[in-house]
Amino acid sequence: MSGVLLESIVKAYGNIEVVHGIDLEVAEKEFVVLVGPSGCGKSTTLRMIAGLEEITAGQISIDDRIVNRIAPKDRDVAMVFQNYALYPHLKVFENIAFGLRIRKESKAHIQKTVADVSEILGLTPYLDRRPAELSGGQRQRVAMGRAIVRHPKVFLFDEPLSNLDAKLRTQMRAEIKRLHKRLGATSVYVTHDQVEAMTLADRIVVMNDGYIEQIGTPMELFTNPANTFVASFIGSPPMNQMPAKVTRSPSGFMATVNDVAFTLPDNLNVEDGQPVVVGVRPEHLTLNDSDGTPPIPISLDLVEPLGSEALLHASIGENQLIVKTETHGDIDHLNSVTQVYAPPHLVSVFDAETGAALTGLRSQ
Amino acid sequence: MSTDLPRTTNAATSSVRSKPSFGDKLIRFIDHVKREWQLYLMLLPAIVWFVVFLYKPMYGLQIAFKDYSIFRGVADSPWVGFEHFETLLSNDQFARAFWNTIKISALNLLFGFPAPIILALLFNEIINTTYKRVTQTIVYLPHFISSVIIAGIITTAFSPTAGVVNTVMGWFGLDSIYFLTRPEWFRPIFVGTGIWQEAGFGSIVFLAAIAGVSPSLYESAVVDGASRWQMMWKITLPSILPTIIIMLIIRIGNVMEVSFEMIILLYQPATYETADVVNTWVFRQGLSSGQYDVAAAAGLFNAIVAFVLVMVANTLSRRYVRTSLW
Repeated sequence: MSGVLLESIVKAYGNIEVVHGIDLEVAEKEFVVLVGPSGCGKSTTLRMIAGLEEITAGQISIDDRIVNRIAPKDRDVAMVFQNYALYPHLKVFENIAFGLRIRKESKAHIQKTVADVSEILGLTPYLDRRPAELSGGQRQRVAMGRAIVRHPKVFLFDEPLSNLDAKLRTQMRAEIKRLHKRLGATSVYVTHDQVEAMTLADRIVVMNDGYIEQIGTPMELFTNPANTFVASFIGSPPMNQMPAKVTRSPSGFMATVNDVAFTLPDNLNVEDGQPVVVGVRPEHLTLNDSDGTPPIPISLDLVEPLGSEALLHASIGENQLIVKTETHGDIDHLNSVTQVYAPPHLVSVFDAETGAALTGLRSQ
Repeated sequence: MSTDLPRTTNAATSSVRSKPSFGDKLIRFIDHVKREWQLYLMLLPAIVWFVVFLYKPMYGLQIAFKDYSIFRGVADSPWVGFEHFETLLSNDQFARAFWNTIKISALNLLFGFPAPIILALLFNEIINTTYKRVTQTIVYLPHFISSVIIAGIITTAFSPTAGVVNTVMGWFGLDSIYFLTRPEWFRPIFVGTGIWQEAGFGSIVFLAAIAGVSPSLYESAVVDGASRWQMMWKITLPSILPTIIIMLIIRIGNVMEVSFEMIILLYQPATYETADVVNTWVFRQGLSSGQYDVAAAAGLFNAIVAFVLVMVANTLSRRYVRTSLW
């Protein structure tokens, strides 16, 4: 299989270890996104796969071949860089053809391959231009063209959309997704943008401080975050998290936040009086009761209209809370909101000490 | 609530807008000076230096067109038109000095100009930082040694009796040569000395340009399979090409200014045939023979040739490489 296998990968610079023995398997044709905050080790991991960084310990295999000591050029990978890495003195055609020329491919082959790739990426009218004469999106497409043209086993993307404005980023995101569908190549993509991760990935790898926090499909991570870090990193706005204490009631477990009770889901492995962190996604909080859940009184601070939706910034005691709700074209009625509802089956519970999820797997 | 604002079309605006007059520009400049007076104050010493040492002496250029006498002064000396230029062009020694200047400059350009570039490329390939720093310091050092000392070292090194060059030649059974008295050896020794003295220091500019090349270009090339040699040819050199062009244009502007002191220190009547350049000829005519007007004409001629060369080089560079000084 043309997959990538990382086994107990460690990276250290001198005495400072930045990646601490991570394991990851990327299947053939899979699109895996490494996501995490700056300095979490995601780019380092990608660069180790590319061979641009030596690994300190562990083993990397590409297509069932151990590549620890194999030069980047012989790993059959192609990489798209954050700043495009286009050669400013070469025209678009020559930029795309660079890898082929280095490999001494025939002129006819280069001509045909570059023409095909340019057609796919819509770059045909720009082949005679230099990178400085292109827009950010066009430059990024040239960078992708240079990767595609070699037909590598694995594509590596290092934050390729970070330098683009929000509108262009959305557009290029869709293009990358389309391209992956069309080419079906194994891809590892690094980003710090969770929206990019959610929209592009078959599976997301959430990294933090050199460790993998969770691996799963976008919806798995959204619905069943393994810990408070993943819960706060995936989702926009992030999941509301409040310290609480578990209390047992005749109807089941409750979590009390500043004397406000959240009904907890069934089948929780918690004890009466246990300190926990209760989490509810802003979009899961509702303004109307649907299944007899007790209301949660809030103190509304601010209404942030986003068009079809609005964010209600509120608090329960000293705990901040965000509610995402539909506006139906009118936000005036939202200014008088005093209580919300948290459906128990959508409430997450985390261990107060370790941050690990105590909620069992939920359907997505 | 939205407000309708009066809008002006671009066509209407452009028809009203006209080119600012000289008065407008002057007012704008004065405003700018008032606003940024600290910057202009910092610029002042440089302007004063230019005026005193480069522009004021231009007043004296008129003696190239006069029968100059130090007793009559610049203003009262009679005009003679292009007489001194005619004298120059018919003077065999000046013609020889002119062609010597061109030949030495051509050799300097051919061998001396690429030397710092090659050195910078080589330094860039050194991975060990300590080794890199030590070698850089060693090659920078000759630049900081006075020309007199350099000339002394060269004279000693090429001495027919105790010189290291003749000693080594002796090991191979070759006869001693008194290099500095042989016209055919002057140019190689002079150009070689210049390279030894200045190549290291000159490489700093190119090293700085290389440092500005984005590392991701190299990383991308590594992933594409480029060797270090290919990266040097296909990435480093093209990336620093604008710097190379600028330095070349500056160098062409100085083509007529071969290292005057070094020639004065190394040449002797026996090597005038290949060593005498325009500046040394001007020096001898002006100071030794007291022909200030002819010397000024030669100097002006020199400057005009250099000016034309730099203009041509800049224009060609702008047209073909899209890089230029102005």
